[in-house]
Amino acid sequence: MTDSMAELDRLQRWMQSVITHPDGVAAGIDSETARELIEIRSGSIEQVISRSKALDSIQRLHVYGNAYYARLIDCMKGEFPATLAALGDESFGGFVMGYLQSFPSTSYTLGDLGREFPAYLANSRPPREIDGPDWADFLVELATLERVYSDVFDGPGEERITLLSADDLSAIPPDRWGDVRLQTAASLHLRTFQFPVQDYIAAVRKQETATIPQPEETWLAINRRDYIVRRRPLSRLPYQLLLQLQQGETLGDAIEVMLVQADMEVDTNSFASRLQEWFRNWTADGYFFGVTLETDQSETK
Amino acid sequence: MPEPRLGHPHLGMGVGLRSAHYPHILQEQPDVDWFEIISENYMDSQGRPRYVLEQIAERYPIVMHGVSLSIGSTDPLNHEYLHRLKSLAESIDAQWISDHLCWTGVAGRNTHDLLPVPLTEATLRYVVERIRIVQDVLERPFVLENPSSYVTFACSEMPEWEFITRMAEEADCGLLLDVNNVYVSSVNHDFDPVEYIENVPHERIVQCHLAGHTNCGTHLIDTHDGQVIDPVWDLYRRAHQLTGGMSTLLEWDARIPAFPVVHAEVLKAKQYISDESDALDGMTERHAPDQTRPEQKADSLVAQTVVPHPAVLVETEVE
Repeated sequence: MTDSMAELDRLQRWMQSVITHPDGVAAGIDSETARELIEIRSGSIEQVISRSKALDSIQRLHVYGNAYYARLIDCMKGEFPATLAALGDESFGGFVMGYLQSFPSTSYTLGDLGREFPAYLANSRPPREIDGPDWADFLVELATLERVYSDVFDGPGEERITLLSADDLSAIPPDRWGDVRLQTAASLHLRTFQFPVQDYIAAVRKQETATIPQPEETWLAINRRDYIVRRRPLSRLPYQLLLQLQQGETLGDAIEVMLVQADMEVDTNSFASRLQEWFRNWTADGYFFGVTLETDQSETK
Repeated sequence: MPEPRLGHPHLGMGVGLRSAHYPHILQEQPDVDWFEIISENYMDSQGRPRYVLEQIAERYPIVMHGVSLSIGSTDPLNHEYLHRLKSLAESIDAQWISDHLCWTGVAGRNTHDLLPVPLTEATLRYVVERIRIVQDVLERPFVLENPSSYVTFACSEMPEWEFITRMAEEADCGLLLDVNNVYVSSVNHDFDPVEYIENVPHERIVQCHLAGHTNCGTHLIDTHDGQVIDPVWDLYRRAHQLTGGMSTLLEWDARIPAFPVVHAEVLKAKQYISDESDALDGMTERHAPDQTRPEQKADSLVAQTVVPHPAVLVETEVE
């Protein structure tokens, strides 16, 4: 790096540290980080930033300093409207300020800005005071599901491929069902929560009154169909079955794991009927795009 | 002597594509000459934004406008970003690709702001070299925009119009003349906007931007949240005279009204250039409020949080 480029680099690092300082640009100029780059105090700042007829140099830098957090907080409000509603404007802004200091954007796209926000909230939660799920858990789960929605909305989807239908599955001989291995849609995300956060988020998005729900174990399948994010609440058994299938197990193995985990025995006839209903719903929702049979690995779709 | 607009087509009057307008555009197919997209909102999209863009690109010419190239940063150019940009341009057959004369971050960070560069000989050489690299990678017309800015550096050695003139000529690139930015910066930095418009290389001006801004009393902020004011229209008319016509685009990024309102705003440009002797005769809607240069107002205005663009995020659609 030439001397002139080193000078430009120092100036840019200095300006970035000043305008992103959480206590404002004057504190930023006087901070150790900034002074290691350009040894100047706020009183002498005109040696670096010129004044205008109307504003002094600090006031001019304030425009950028004010905008940095305000802009990114606005973006986070757009991505996490339910977390914002639960926290309130001021608290939400405070959490995002902290988040941006821990995880400043390093991406060219604002789409990545909130990626670590749920983890940040989880790591900065206060000590637990009650047994069981608490308010902090609810906030973390809200942010987690809102981020999943973002990922599903603009991530890979299946709109341009033919999905598996209920008829495709019906074509498989019953004695081969145990050997079926399903290819699940890339947009399918399976998540469990301690609160029914999807209902709270839906109410906020519809601008309805959103009340903080009581804890309730919740199993969700989230995917995208026709470019819109969809979510289906499941009960525990079908959730576990779907999870096994997503992990690549054959249907036979997936059912076995599901039953062991549920510690239950089933009535074969009634279970077959429930299984059919689950797969009817799942194929209608577009959860699968292919199927193979374990023994010959030939793709039937 | 280069051809006018460097030989690129005059696309007419266009509008910045924003997700709030997707349904209207898809259903009504409005009679708009062209659209400009924020590149970063589409280059990684595998969902609805990209799907909508592909449909719109089948019907309308598209120009790609970026906010994260960071041509003036001392960080290395992000080649992965450039290749994704190129790939998107190929897939929608973009007319050209633009970004800003600015830096957005350093040391691996992105402030998502368009920060000004010091206007020195050294910066000029550095930026010109980087533009050449970008052009080699993109293999598509590349155009840089004059930014609006709120500070100037004591070390600057030349006016901005001289910097961008030499930059465009030495790098052999096009210019996106944002007349609102010229006006905003002229107020903030106490220079003559007409002198700026008259001295940039007119044959290199491929495109023009129009937008509204916010008057904070002691300075202006480029908020893209309202109508274009008369002094900016006057600069636009002068630029039109000097260039012989340029693809014109309206940006509206905050408090976005219905699409017909945004479209009508850019179509006002036709009235401003149809009779250059007195373009405004007979116009009932002469201007938006706050037409004059700001005077000294209360200091409290300075501390107000008015956020300059860009902050364009496509919001998630959930059933």
